[in-house]
Amino acid sequence: MPRHEEWIVHVDLTSGKVTRNKVPDQVQSDFIGGSGVGWKLIADILTPGIDAFSPDNYICFNPGVLTGTLTTGAPKTTVITKYPTISSDDGKQYIGESTTGGRFFGAALARAGCHHLLITGAAPSPVYLRIRDQNIELMDAQDLWGQGIEKVTNELVRREGPETGVVCIGTAGENKVRLALAIVDKTNSLGRGGLGAVMGSKNLKAIAVNGTGDVTVARPEEFMAISQQLREKVLQWPGREHWIKLGLAAGWDTFKHTQYPGIWSKDRWEELYGEQKRLEAVEEVIPCNSCMLSCRLKWKIKGGEYDGEVGFGSPFSKSATSGMLLGVEDYRKMIHIVADANSISGVDFYTTTRMIDFVTKMYQEGRLTKEDTGGLELKRDYDTYLQLYKMTVARQGFGEILADGWYRLKKEFGLDPQDYWYGGICKGMDFIYDARPSNFHPLMMSFFTRPRPHHGGSHTRTNSRNKTIQEIYEQVEGWGLPKDILDRIFTEAPYTGKFNVGRYNCYMEDMMEVHNSLGICSIFSQHGLLFGKDMVRLYNAVVGEDISAFELVKRGDRIFNITKVINVREGFSRQDDRPPEVWFRPMDSPEGRIEMHDYYNLHVITREDVEKLLDDYYEERGWDVERGIPTKEKLASLGLQQYVDALPDAER
Amino acid sequence: MEKAIKLCVNASMCRGCGSCQLACSFAKAKVFNPYKSAIRLDYDPESGHTAPAILPLSCNLCGGFPTCVNICPYDALSTEEKPGLNYKILVAV
Repeated sequence: MPRHEEWIVHVDLTSGKVTRNKVPDQVQSDFIGGSGVGWKLIADILTPGIDAFSPDNYICFNPGVLTGTLTTGAPKTTVITKYPTISSDDGKQYIGESTTGGRFFGAALARAGCHHLLITGAAPSPVYLRIRDQNIELMDAQDLWGQGIEKVTNELVRREGPETGVVCIGTAGENKVRLALAIVDKTNSLGRGGLGAVMGSKNLKAIAVNGTGDVTVARPEEFMAISQQLREKVLQWPGREHWIKLGLAAGWDTFKHTQYPGIWSKDRWEELYGEQKRLEAVEEVIPCNSCMLSCRLKWKIKGGEYDGEVGFGSPFSKSATSGMLLGVEDYRKMIHIVADANSISGVDFYTTTRMIDFVTKMYQEGRLTKEDTGGLELKRDYDTYLQLYKMTVARQGFGEILADGWYRLKKEFGLDPQDYWYGGICKGMDFIYDARPSNFHPLMMSFFTRPRPHHGGSHTRTNSRNKTIQEIYEQVEGWGLPKDILDRIFTEAPYTGKFNVGRYNCYMEDMMEVHNSLGICSIFSQHGLLFGKDMVRLYNAVVGEDISAFELVKRGDRIFNITKVINVREGFSRQDDRPPEVWFRPMDSPEGRIEMHDYYNLHVITREDVEKLLDDYYEERGWDVERGIPTKEKLASLGLQQYVDALPDAER
Repeated sequence: MEKAIKLCVNASMCRGCGSCQLACSFAKAKVFNPYKSAIRLDYDPESGHTAPAILPLSCNLCGGFPTCVNICPYDALSTEEKPGLNYKILVAV
C-alpha cells in the first residue's frame, strides 16, 4: 500500500487562489505529520510581529496522521494561528495550537487530501470555503453572515450532504470579539483565545468539507491488528459504561473537588449542579469520528424559563463553576448561556462569564463606576449577567471593552487580571482549573509554560488527583523514556515531593504534540488506555517506519521547540511563564481553607517552589534556564538551526 | 444446511461514530473510506440523529461474519441466523 502522504492546500482569501503541494518526505518524518508539520509550515510562512487580525495572518488546519482511520478514536484536527488574545501589558500575542474532534470534520479533511489547510488573506465580503475533494471554492456567505452557528451548520450539511464536516463561527467571531471561538460539527469547540475572531477578520464564516478519497496506511493488516487489540482494551475498561452514558458529564465526582470555586459548600453544589441535575438534561451522548467513548452531549432543558431549549456540546462543568462564581442557583439558567455561546454566538463561555463575575464584583466594591460602564448599573443578578454577555458578543457599549479580554480591562480601568479570584490568568487567558482545589499537577504547570495557556490535548494520567507513583511510572515508561529520565522525574525533592512535576511536564508537552500530530484523542491517555508504545505501533503501521516510542517523543520535542521559538520571536520569555498570583492566596471556603499543595497534597507549594520547578522544567528541556527559551545548541541538536535568528541577540 | 443471515440495524442505538463504515471499507479495499463501504450514514442535521443505512447490493455480509457488527461499539448492529435459504435480510428495528 502507498505510504501515508500529506498535502498542503494553500488558500488565499484575498485573491481566491488555491494551490496544492506535497509535503517533502523528510519534513513529514521529522515532524511526525499532522500538526507537527503544520507548526513547521507556520514557522516558515508567518510574518513575525503582525497583528492577529492582519490579512497576513494564517490559519492552518491539520487533521492528524491517524485521523480518518479506525482506531479507538482518532478524530482530531489541530489548528494553528496567531491568536488575538492580548497577552501582556505591551500587547504581545501568542501563536498557538488548538484541537478539536467532531463526527465529520477532521476525517473529511483527510479524505479530501487537505492535510494542511493554510488559509490567509481576507475576503472582500463574507464567504465560506467549500471543499469537495480537490474542488475548492470560495462561496458567497452574505446570506449566512449574522446567523447562528447551528443554523448555518445545518444549512451547509443540507447543501453538501450527510458526511460533510463543518467548522463555523457565530456572531461573536464576525464582530471580532477576542473571546470568540469556532464550533465544529455543532458539538466541538475549537480555538479558545480568539480563533473565531481571526476567521471573522478574514470574512470567513465557515468551512464545509467533504472528501471521497481513501485514507491509506502503509501496512494495513498490521495496523488493523493493533487497532483491534486497543479497541478490545477500551471495551473492557470498567469506566466505559458510565462514560458512554454521561459523556464529559461523567466526571462530576472528580470535578467537584478539582474545580471547586469555594463559595458554596460542596454539598450545596452537588444539590444544585451535581450528577442528578446533569442526568435530568442529557438527551444523547455523541462520539467523535471512530471513537469508542463518547464525550459530547445533546441536552434539553426541562422546566423553568428556558423549558425545551436544546443544545450541543458539553455544558455542565463550565456552567457549574461559573454558576457558583456568579451565585446562579438554577443550572438551567447557566446552560441557557452555554447554548447561546455554542450554538449561536460562538464565544468562550469560561472567559466571558468570569469577566462578568469580575466586573460586577468590582462595581459592587466601587472600583468601577457608572461612568466607566456607560451608565449601566452592574448588579449581581442573572439579568445583568445576561445583558453583559449579549453586549460582549455584540461589542455594544461596555461590552466593547469586555470583548477585548482581561488586559483591556486593565488598560481602561486599572483592574489587574491577577486580582481575579478563581482559576488564575496567564498570557491573557484564564485557566479552566485552579491549582488550589486541583493541587499543583502537571497540567497546571503546562498552562503557563505552553505558548497558549489551555490544555489542548495535554491530558495524561496525572489529570486526576491521587494517581499512584506506580501508575504514573507505568505511563512514562510506556512513552519509552529511558531510565535516566525516569530517575529524574521520580527523584524526591523538598519542593516537589516524590514526583517532579516540572520534569514530567516537559515530556507531557512533547506527548501532547505527539497526540495532536497523530490526531488521537488524549482522553484515552488520561484513562490509562493508550500509551506511547501503542501510539508508535499505530504510527509505524501507517507511515511504514519502524521507530521507537522514545523517537516519537523526541519528534514531539522538536515540534514543541518550534512552537516555543516562534513565540520567542514574538517577544515571549520566562517573564511570561508566570503562575497566577491567585494560586498563592489561600481560598477560604465553607469546606475550610484551601491552599495550593503538591500533587499528592502533602505540602503547600510556595512561589519559591514553583520557581524551582520552572528551573527543573527548563533544564530538562535543555533551554536557557534564566530566560526560559531554547538555546542555539538545543535548536541545532534538533535540526532547527535555521530558527536561531528568532532568539534574542545574546543567544545566537 | 445453508443459513440465512439477518443483519439488523437498531437506529436508536447509532451515535454516528462511523466505525462501521471504516471497518467495511477496510474489509473491502484495505482503505478507510465511507464511500467505499456498503454503509451510508443517514444524518439529520437538525436533530443530530444518525443511522447506518446498508446498501443491499454492495453488502456481502463478509461471508457470514459481518465486520460492521463486530466493530460497532454502541450495539447498533446485530445479526440473527436462521436455517434455510442463503440470503440476507436488512431491517431497521
